[in-house]
Amino acid sequence: MKTFSRLGFMRNRALIVATLGLHAFVALLAPYLKLLSTDAQDSAALLQKPSFDHWLGTDALGRDVFSRLLHGGRPSLVIAFAATAISCVIGIVIGAVAALAGGWLDDALSRVIDFLLALPTLILLLLISSFFGQDPFVLSVALGLMYTAPIARVARSATQTLLMRDFVRVARLQGGSRISILFGEVLPNVWRLMFTEVAMQFTWILLAFSSLSFLGLGASPPTPEWGLMIAESRSYMTLNPLLVIAPIVMLASLVLAIQALVDHE
Amino acid sequence: MINLARRVTFSLATFIALAVVSFLGIDALPGDGCTALLGRFGSDTKIESCRQENQLNDPVVVRLKNWSTDLISGDLGYSIKRDEQVSEIIIPRLRNTAVMAAVAAVIAFPSAIVVGLLLGRFPQKRSSKVVNQLSVIAMTLPEFVIATVLWLVLSIWLPIFPGVSVMPSNASVLQLLPNVWLPAFTLAVVIFAHSMRTMRASVTNVQTMPFVESAQLRGTKERTTISRHIVPAALPPVMNVVALDGAWLLTGTFVTEAVFNFQGLGRLAIDAISDRDTALILPIILFGLAVYLISSLLADSLARIFDPRLRSAKG
Repeated sequence: MKTFSRLGFMRNRALIVATLGLHAFVALLAPYLKLLSTDAQDSAALLQKPSFDHWLGTDALGRDVFSRLLHGGRPSLVIAFAATAISCVIGIVIGAVAALAGGWLDDALSRVIDFLLALPTLILLLLISSFFGQDPFVLSVALGLMYTAPIARVARSATQTLLMRDFVRVARLQGGSRISILFGEVLPNVWRLMFTEVAMQFTWILLAFSSLSFLGLGASPPTPEWGLMIAESRSYMTLNPLLVIAPIVMLASLVLAIQALVDHE
Repeated sequence: MINLARRVTFSLATFIALAVVSFLGIDALPGDGCTALLGRFGSDTKIESCRQENQLNDPVVVRLKNWSTDLISGDLGYSIKRDEQVSEIIIPRLRNTAVMAAVAAVIAFPSAIVVGLLLGRFPQKRSSKVVNQLSVIAMTLPEFVIATVLWLVLSIWLPIFPGVSVMPSNASVLQLLPNVWLPAFTLAVVIFAHSMRTMRASVTNVQTMPFVESAQLRGTKERTTISRHIVPAALPPVMNVVALDGAWLLTGTFVTEAVFNFQGLGRLAIDAISDRDTALILPIILFGLAVYLISSLLADSLARIFDPRLRSAKG
């Protein structure tokens, strides 16, 4: 028990897996769990304390907090998965091509990556969301493209590491073209080196979307979404602190569990 | 020095390129200053005369040329929506953000260096592990969560600091101060975690190096070993993080300012975006770019100044 410090949960593998499993279960099955409606407003029961009817009470519009909480991760998770997929597909190809090609193409692509890294991400997202509407599809694509540059940079150095490996050298000596090495050797293997980076990226995108929702430009009401729930309930913190604590616990447990899982690898 | 000159040139070129891209990108967005002023449902004739008056109907190349010559002569432009010079809107907000950033920096950086040193020296202590894991949590959580928790604890449960700030953007620094604490604490938590962890890793790395061992074997006092050998060698990477976090303090504070309704540059950026006030958005983006590029340069130069090994190195 000596090493089990008060924050030992960050190192407890069973607990990490259980937390992630529970989040996955809730996110996938929330619509089928016979929960109360997330949108039904009960004007006779505003800002209720937890009760048998409403396990976590009700919000300022009389909606069931427990039900909204279990549904509240779905929008961010869907967008984070989509955006991570987009950024990985484009980023890994760009990074791998840059490393394989070398020379002027590598220089040019690296400059473009540096250039893109200098862009102010959040302000651009706010602009896109404000001018093109809070459409989940648009936001996924925007987030995906915006987070492509860091993935491309890591993919480039991961590919350079791979190019030193014997099996890639053998493929080269056997006369494999750069294209065949790209598809045959690099792309099937490079993602192993990038697991940590991709997982971190996933949490950044998730949190970026939650922050957008918190600012009123991500998920649009009445969608249940943790960031939006925190924003909507802030004015009622004095009356029912649970309204902000519950979504904070959900969001924090999810991203910390992902972070802890990555640290284990 | 040649290397530095090349880097400055490259940063300047990046800035110019990004400035032009930002101008064209914002120009391509649906809506301009006149639709922002008159609303999307303003009558076509009114919007048209407003555009005539403000030369918004000129070809984009002409407007880009006028805008850039104005910018070079120090004129940031004019917000049709707010009927005010952009510089007059931005400067008081920038001052507010700078005060908040300064408070956060004074709280966070010195303590981060001390705590990082202690954690690096005594990694096996239970308190070291707890602080370390808390800093991982602080780095992972988004600012709006940290801000809301601080608000709940320090303003509602223990009513020490005012939560939401009510102040005009041009309040005096004294009026500003009570409202600065909670947003500054939020930013301080984030940058403390960053710089503390960098310091800890750097100290851990440095103290196994031969010159530290040699000092210890010569019988140098522990205190002298730390102050003369470990700290100077451990600081350069921390200075790097300090420069980059300093830039973030000036430009990355949207969320924190929004939480506490703090009248700074970040709050202004969000307002400008929701008003679709393009004339105001552009200079804020350019300011962010400039601060980012300057701090990247500064980060490299600081590392060079603090680390003698890098002074003659090429790269």
